[in-house]
Amino acid sequence: MRNSRILGIGHYVPPQTVTNADLTKLMDTTDEWIQQRTGIRERHFSGAGVGASDMGADAAREALARAGVAAEDVDCIVFATLSPDVDMPASACLLQERLGISGMPAFDVRNQCSGFLYGLAVADKFVKTGTYDHVLLVGAEVHSTGIDLTTRGREVAVIFGDGAAAVVLGPEDDPAKGILSTHLHAEGRFAEKLWIESAGSRARPRLTEEIVDGPEARLFPKMEGRYVFRHAITRFPEVIHEALDANGLKTQDISLLIPHQANLRISQAVAMSLELPEEKVFNNIQRYGNTTAGSIPLALYEAEQEGRIRKGDLVCLAAFGAGFTWGAVLIRW
Amino acid sequence: MSTTILGLGHHLPPAVERCGVRRPIAVEPVGPSTLAVKAAADAFARAQVPADAVEFIIFATMTPDVTFPGAGCYFQDQMGCGTVGALDLRAQCAGFVFGLVIADQFIRAGAYRNVALIGGEVHSSGLDYSERGAPVARLYGDGAGVALLGTGSGAGGLRGAAVHTDGRRHREFWCEYPSSRQHPVRMTVEDLHLGRHFPKIDFDAVRAFAEDALPAVIGEALKKSGVAVATVDRFIIGHLLPEVGEAVGRRLGIESGRLNVPAARHGHLTAAALPVALSEEVAQGSLGPGATVCLAAAGAGFAWGAAVVTL
Repeated sequence: MRNSRILGIGHYVPPQTVTNADLTKLMDTTDEWIQQRTGIRERHFSGAGVGASDMGADAAREALARAGVAAEDVDCIVFATLSPDVDMPASACLLQERLGISGMPAFDVRNQCSGFLYGLAVADKFVKTGTYDHVLLVGAEVHSTGIDLTTRGREVAVIFGDGAAAVVLGPEDDPAKGILSTHLHAEGRFAEKLWIESAGSRARPRLTEEIVDGPEARLFPKMEGRYVFRHAITRFPEVIHEALDANGLKTQDISLLIPHQANLRISQAVAMSLELPEEKVFNNIQRYGNTTAGSIPLALYEAEQEGRIRKGDLVCLAAFGAGFTWGAVLIRW
Repeated sequence: MSTTILGLGHHLPPAVERCGVRRPIAVEPVGPSTLAVKAAADAFARAQVPADAVEFIIFATMTPDVTFPGAGCYFQDQMGCGTVGALDLRAQCAGFVFGLVIADQFIRAGAYRNVALIGGEVHSSGLDYSERGAPVARLYGDGAGVALLGTGSGAGGLRGAAVHTDGRRHREFWCEYPSSRQHPVRMTVEDLHLGRHFPKIDFDAVRAFAEDALPAVIGEALKKSGVAVATVDRFIIGHLLPEVGEAVGRRLGIESGRLNVPAARHGHLTAAALPVALSEEVAQGSLGPGATVCLAAAGAGFAWGAAVVTL
């Protein structure tokens, strides 16, 4: 059975930069507090009317161009997001329209911070089995319209940024190259440690004035930060070891670790736990905040552009976040 | 070796009268994960597979319990499936067929042996049962179906499938709000009063599309499977409008005894329509081992697909 490999990566970051100082005008917070807790200096917010699929389309066009694959030759579209353009259908459908293509299956993966890795696992299997030759995988988020940018929401709101990135997957005939294996996990017991409750189908009715816009509004994310941190720093190393063990590899074999950009302090703790030196861990959360499903491909894009990934390198992608969900993917570049 | 349905289960809440029709409606504040847990008991029992033998979960829904995380995470917790991965899939009415194709990839690639595939929906909490919304609201029901998938030897299992999407037509069958592209916030009280969070459907367009697309995709799946229309024991057609299922049956020349249109009995169950209908027939004994079934669905997206399975 053949492997899959990444043929091209693209990205899109909205032009509006929002610094920590900008946030202090909206809420009672400080640059020092945000940087100390998260490492974030600035993030980007999308403009009016711009949805996940609009940003995703720009990222997809760049990825397709770099892969040398025409949009018409895409066999399948996988779109990872937790902030879809509309309630339904999937943002993947809107992406098709933006790219001017149709006919191939297009669907959304809703797995939060692990969304890109869940999508990558799905895309990889489609290529491995020979079902499809070219799968377009997009991770994109417009968080800025779904966070409480007042003092009430500051603990969560300062973390998130908007952004998108995409990869095109294609076949790799050498079994020692490309995506070596994918490892996915979840633990729904902790679903409500990091979540957005509404509009959820279990509330009857799903949306009311109180839910939409009251002192108890439930459209915004809630997080027990310390809880998430504690689980993240356990699950990240655990799943990375699982991936390495499955391939008979060791942590020293990793050329570059690209962790989901949730919080710089988590990435640093994971690197320390794995005894990986700083130059073997890629972080760019300082400039983008947490872009959830967009974060890993956005980091992968920059790492490749900066020459941090060379042919033959062992790249480890890993994620942890809401669900809880987590995962790791090993790629021989 | 091919991907096989090891066990099926379904759950429909009690029927309640709304807008002059009786539909399965979850009156308690539950999401699709809770309905799916009730459906899963039979699926696991029939498959003779314990919950902890499941290696991956795929939950197809367009009405998750909460905005995030997905219904799959809630299902996993309630089932006691350890820390296996739980993928939440959005492919609307075709969600189960898309999910079956995805599960098949994981199984054929050797990544997982047993996958729990769920189609579950709680539509009723998001519908407008007033006079304004009745033409849409009366068409839907709540329910969940679970298929436990694994590998089997012999000629059975998933024979072939075809899946498609045409996103250029997403506005003809959609629910716009909450909408992340609306600045500065996804949903306002004004949007609520205008009913922008209720599904909007161009019935004529949706009907005309499906009446052409379903026979075509069924033909494609049959061809890939090497199965003729005449040798299929049952065609299960998942569509919002029961008359579309009937029209597809006429178009393909299928006599009514070989046609199962779940929307005619339960209202439209979206991602749950196909597994519920299949599970009902297996439970009744009208379909048994060796029976060949064509599962087809079309709807919002537009997304559509068909799969041919031998039980």
